[in-house]
Amino acid sequence: DRDRDTQRERERETDIISTVEFNHTGELLATGDKGGRVVIFQREPESKNAPHSQGEYDVYSTFQSHEPEFDYLKSLEIEEKINKIKWLPQQNAAHSLLSTNDKTIKLWKITERDKRPEGYNLKDEEGKLKDLSTVTSLQVPVLKPMDLMVEVSPRRIFANGHTYHINSISVNSDCETYMSADDLRINLWHLAITDRSFNIVDIKPANMEDLTEVITASEFHPHHCNLFVYSSSKGSLRLCDMRAAALCDKHSKLFEEPEDPSNRSFFSEIISSVSDVKFSHSGRYMLTRDYLTVKVWDLNMEARPIETYQVHDYLRSKLCSLYENDCIFDKFECAWNGSDSVIMTGAYNNFFRMFDRNTKRDVTLEASRESSKPRAVLKPRRVCVGGKRRRDDISVDSLDFTKKILHTAWHPAENIIAIAATNNLYIFQDKVNSEMH
Amino acid sequence: MEFKLEAHRIVSISLGKIYNSRVQRGGIKLHKNLLVSLVLRSARQVYLSDPCPGLYLAGPAGTPAPPPQQPGEPAAGPPAGWGEPPPPAARASWPETEPQPERSAVSEAPRVGDAVPAATVTGVGDVPQGGEADAAEAAWNRVDGPRQAAAGEAEDPAGGWGVFPLGSRAARRPCGCPLGGQDPPGTPAATPRAACCCAPRPAEDEPPAPPAVCPRKRGAAGVGGGPASCPAPGSTPLKKPRRNLEQPASGGEDDDAEEMETGNVANLISIFGSSFSGLLRKSPGGGREEEEGEESGPEAAEPGQICCDKPVLRDMNPWSTAIVAF
Repeated sequence: DRDRDTQRERERETDIISTVEFNHTGELLATGDKGGRVVIFQREPESKNAPHSQGEYDVYSTFQSHEPEFDYLKSLEIEEKINKIKWLPQQNAAHSLLSTNDKTIKLWKITERDKRPEGYNLKDEEGKLKDLSTVTSLQVPVLKPMDLMVEVSPRRIFANGHTYHINSISVNSDCETYMSADDLRINLWHLAITDRSFNIVDIKPANMEDLTEVITASEFHPHHCNLFVYSSSKGSLRLCDMRAAALCDKHSKLFEEPEDPSNRSFFSEIISSVSDVKFSHSGRYMLTRDYLTVKVWDLNMEARPIETYQVHDYLRSKLCSLYENDCIFDKFECAWNGSDSVIMTGAYNNFFRMFDRNTKRDVTLEASRESSKPRAVLKPRRVCVGGKRRRDDISVDSLDFTKKILHTAWHPAENIIAIAATNNLYIFQDKVNSEMH
Repeated sequence: MEFKLEAHRIVSISLGKIYNSRVQRGGIKLHKNLLVSLVLRSARQVYLSDPCPGLYLAGPAGTPAPPPQQPGEPAAGPPAGWGEPPPPAARASWPETEPQPERSAVSEAPRVGDAVPAATVTGVGDVPQGGEADAAEAAWNRVDGPRQAAAGEAEDPAGGWGVFPLGSRAARRPCGCPLGGQDPPGTPAATPRAACCCAPRPAEDEPPAPPAVCPRKRGAAGVGGGPASCPAPGSTPLKKPRRNLEQPASGGEDDDAEEMETGNVANLISIFGSSFSGLLRKSPGGGREEEEGEESGPEAAEPGQICCDKPVLRDMNPWSTAIVAF
């Protein structure tokens, strides 16, 4: 009985979504989970017959990307959890994506089959060889439509490139190379070559005692194939140019904001660690997320971010408890909308936040069962921090810290967002303002 | 004073995290452990820099004046040396216990025996589980006799804490093992290191440390069973040979088949000046030992298990015992 319960609990845990990513057109949405599975959703084309289901996402394909492994040599268990998925730009009828766990990156090819040949001369319908004496005439096999079948196959496996845990992958705009980053190193791979990679960043100190910071995220510039950025646990960003040197340990630009001494606490270092970095679609800005804020940086200004938004500053006084229950180590992601005018990030209690950079307005929304009824409108939420309390406000102390929204994604062109709330995926559309503005 | 308590609490919590990280699936997470070790450092700094009247950190030959008792602290006495109970995280060292939130016991009259592993100091020979306060206290007294005379209450209540300035060459047991140190505040923390290696330690004027029976070179307490903060006042602070011990630790790395180094966790260890048993191992129950290559064979206990039930434990202060047990 207890075994069953533990098993059920474990099953639920493997369903926890660990990454969400739209492809470049927004037609496909991929999610990875703790159990190593990838589920791809496809947007249904809008049709007049079923106006209500226009543009909704349905499951397109599910496959097991990574399995748990045990490295016997190092006595190390390798989790199958999918840390990141990145789509390759589509170059033919097939779709391709990269998925990675802590150690191994895989290139998957997703193809559709909707026709099959029928009318073979030598084989019957089941594929068995026919008795030749029964063949009296010749026919040309024809392709007949069949139910759509989505086939997924692993095309490349990029293994053994990392000693530490992989935290990011990013496809280069040249569509030929991609990079993978772990805590201390970044490697550059060619998509067609699996037996070697180039190390382009190595911050491992000669003596590990001297270690003071690790790499937390990295991304290629969307347009300049020679530029990439990586963030550190100390809150800094380094922009590197691969033309400058083979080993990009020396950054081209260092983006760092001086710490505010009045905010110093035991946990200052933890909360300044950058958990995610994203270039804007324009390539001009970068978005970073640390524990309490999201910041917009201009590539032309290294001294400080141009915008800082408080995600949940009311947690600042609770850092010790959050340290105790490990929440302070949660790694939230951040996202730009297609026009780079709105940024989004997740928080606790299944809340997520959006900040409009132009109007400077922000909103807190909740991803919950109630809010996900069809055609329901998300109601803005508010966390009250003492003072006047409105009716539907949530007090800080009643926030559920087990319900965290770490992974969010925004459709590249439309106002459609995907929110991963533990093991549920919510997709919200802004029907009123479906175009970006 | 609250800062000290807070710092103390945070250290316990952090220790618990480091301990638990050993058994987490997927191996030790470098990033998280680095952050935890940074928190530990901050806590330590705060602890040391907070001028607390009750804080006594004995220096060398320390016969510093006994500190005025902190509120709630037991009257002098070696047992009081620890004043504040060893962080409950020490409990975590026992496989069957979970790290408890810091007990408010700090404000109680903490007797060394109070917390956890203090009990181990009972010298009963085996490794008792809970705090047998009385037994522990008795043990302290017994063991600490002579030194007690020397500086009596000198054991600073926060003594164990005082060790923090890690590494210090000061006040270290011969084995250089954990804490024990009573460093004058401000002693630059030498970045002591991971390996607490009893063997090579120069036992200065200490009786030769009970051999490092412990496979992990745990500090045998050498210092005449220094309970509380070891080299009790009156003893010469011991210099801990540093790098040569570390070498094996970091040298333990292969260059070819590179292991995932968790040496940053060793920073943590350096704070306590001892090597965590198996802490640097990626998973319990095996794996290459990262810290140092040499381990006493026979005692090679399972990582994470109490390193031994030898009498050596009896002589260690509870704080270090906790670490040992890790």
